[in-house]
Amino acid sequence: MRLTSRLVVSTAVVALMGSVAYAEEFDWRKFEGTEITWAYDIHPYADAVVAYLDEFEELTGIKVNAELYPDDTYWGKLNIQLSTGSPDWDVVGTGIQPAWDVTPAGQLAPLRGLINDPSMTNPDYDYADFFPALTRAWTWDVAEEKIIDTPDGEIWGIPHAFENMQLMYRMDILDRLDVAPPSTLPELTAACEKITAADPNITPMAVRGVRFWSSIHTAPISIAQSYGVSDFVGSGDDLDTALDGAESIRFHKDYVAMIQACAPDSWANDNWYQVVDGLSTGKTAMAVDANMFGFWNNIKGASDASGQIAFAPPLTAPDNDEFASNIWIWSLAINAASEKKGAAWYFMQWATSKEMNVRGATDGKLVNPPRASAWDSQEWIDYANQPEFNNFYETFNTVQEKTSLLFTPRYGFGTAINAWAVAMQDMVGGADVEERLAELAEEIRDELN
Amino acid sequence: MARKKARSGNTFLLLALLPAVLILGGFILLFFWGFYQSLTDMRFGRTRVDFEGLGNYARLFSRGRFWDSVSATAIYAFSAVACEAILGLAIAKLFNTRALLAKWFRPAILLPLVLPPLSVALMWTTMMNPETGVLNYFLSFIGIDNFTWTSKAETAMFAVVFIDVWTFTPFFALIIFAGLRGIAPDIVEGARMNGAKAWGIFWRIELPMVLPYILLASLFRLIDSLNQFDIIFGTTQGGPGNATDVLSVSAYFTAFQNLYFGRGAAIMIVNWLIVLISAIVVVKLWQFTRKRVS
Repeated sequence: MRLTSRLVVSTAVVALMGSVAYAEEFDWRKFEGTEITWAYDIHPYADAVVAYLDEFEELTGIKVNAELYPDDTYWGKLNIQLSTGSPDWDVVGTGIQPAWDVTPAGQLAPLRGLINDPSMTNPDYDYADFFPALTRAWTWDVAEEKIIDTPDGEIWGIPHAFENMQLMYRMDILDRLDVAPPSTLPELTAACEKITAADPNITPMAVRGVRFWSSIHTAPISIAQSYGVSDFVGSGDDLDTALDGAESIRFHKDYVAMIQACAPDSWANDNWYQVVDGLSTGKTAMAVDANMFGFWNNIKGASDASGQIAFAPPLTAPDNDEFASNIWIWSLAINAASEKKGAAWYFMQWATSKEMNVRGATDGKLVNPPRASAWDSQEWIDYANQPEFNNFYETFNTVQEKTSLLFTPRYGFGTAINAWAVAMQDMVGGADVEERLAELAEEIRDELN
Repeated sequence: MARKKARSGNTFLLLALLPAVLILGGFILLFFWGFYQSLTDMRFGRTRVDFEGLGNYARLFSRGRFWDSVSATAIYAFSAVACEAILGLAIAKLFNTRALLAKWFRPAILLPLVLPPLSVALMWTTMMNPETGVLNYFLSFIGIDNFTWTSKAETAMFAVVFIDVWTFTPFFALIIFAGLRGIAPDIVEGARMNGAKAWGIFWRIELPMVLPYILLASLFRLIDSLNQFDIIFGTTQGGPGNATDVLSVSAYFTAFQNLYFGRGAAIMIVNWLIVLISAIVVVKLWQFTRKRVS
């Protein structure tokens, strides 16, 4: 027993010395005295970093000005900053889809060189620790107006936190109405009919319906995958849409029937905040959206729904058990026009480090943390498995295995997917599914040519 | 000496006019820059810009969706302005009486006009929610259940026109009220003494005399409604489907969502042409009615 204790203590001391030695080798104060600007959305993910900014400034001597904007304003400002080549913002918060539009014109700085440079990257940083689906999604090469999707390509952003799409449901409501959580799309439609019959005051299901790609990126693209449908088929010059194909028609008929049976009348105007509001107030029984909304509402005292939201994988086709879940990755990237790229990278590697991942997550903000090590850390396991979070942790592990970016990497990605969202509104409004999908495919092909 | 004085007077005049000339020049320059953009294939995130000539316009005119947008723009603007003119006239008539109601309403009517249109849109979006909105609660008293307002293509245009009418009818009311106050009392009194009834006075004297005011208000409102963005984007974003996809929303979508700046600029130039032609027609009508009144 004593020997074991000694062994443990000595191992710990060696490990500590090792890390101290590494820390000594890596010069955190290389950019001391530099002042950088970090721009981000007003978001719990930003709060997770802001809470510890003093520590970063003390460690590096780099002053960070955090410029946080409301979501609606932020994206417009980001486009203007990047497209005008302004060096005002050094580090920016962004996502992969917007990055597809700006990297071909060289508006974000490539990061692979920095990551591989031992004089610039802390040896403890461990880029390979991020979930492979996330790092793979941030890797591509660029050509004029083109994204070349290759695993050996350039790296354009570092995952800061991410959302994967899941079915979330109010346990109290489903229990009261004796409805089992559905696993296929037709099962969901049937469950909705049962809920409406039992309690007409409850909206059975909420999903986003606004006419932007953000509506497609949650439920439709995830569920469509199980029907064998994706946004594009082929690659390069042979890229084509199969949204007018038989599988797509089948998926859309089921999906439209589900929206008509399940979603509120306001569906076409509903964005993520209406979806989340319905779930947290108990007006809505189920929702397919980003899983962290369920997590945040489950935090003790956060809402009336605390402890009542449970999680399940996204729905599937009736004849396929394989589900798929799409992701949105809030990430940090460097403005190519920044004149302080070194200091910017220091800030990024600190903000996305293993320690910051676990800290942010256990503060209840940086959910989901993008590093595998965070999910293995006892601190996060203990926190995320508290009773109020129900099956959050285990469902994440189940879903994460089948989580990936389900959109085809493309410059001008929004055009086709926005058109898809508009077509979905038309179909739910009563347009013939086959005819409307044929029209959509024609529109997309026209844009491809 | 006199010449020297005149020269310094001219210099002062030129200096005083310079800011206005510069601002006007800036506007014109920006307009031509926008027009130039519409002749290119400019896209966000792309360094190369090629001159396309009228390619963007040819593409637009060949698409049914563009003509749907033109039609949505016209329906929105003309129906909103017509409703506002009729209601504005009725309210102005009320204000022109000594009724107690008129005294109370005169200051309150300004309220919608001082609200930012985007706030108005958000406020109405909440009230028009088919399930939780207060409007459907009131409608349920008269037996109308689940009116879909902005949520269904069939009712969305009505809903956004309704918001426009609520917001801008006071503008008409105030201008027409000023016109009614400008009518010399002895004209109305004379007509009354000659046996004219209230309806006859309104139809034959007041309406012809305030018509230039109505047309003037229509001119301003038509320009604004044909360009309306905030109310529509803040409520329906142009949907459901393309039901309220007016030209200004379509241009925004094309330029800032789909990142085709050149095509977006072309849509705005077409919108500008529609505004220009509509404004010229209304100005001609205004000149005609003014001539008749004077």
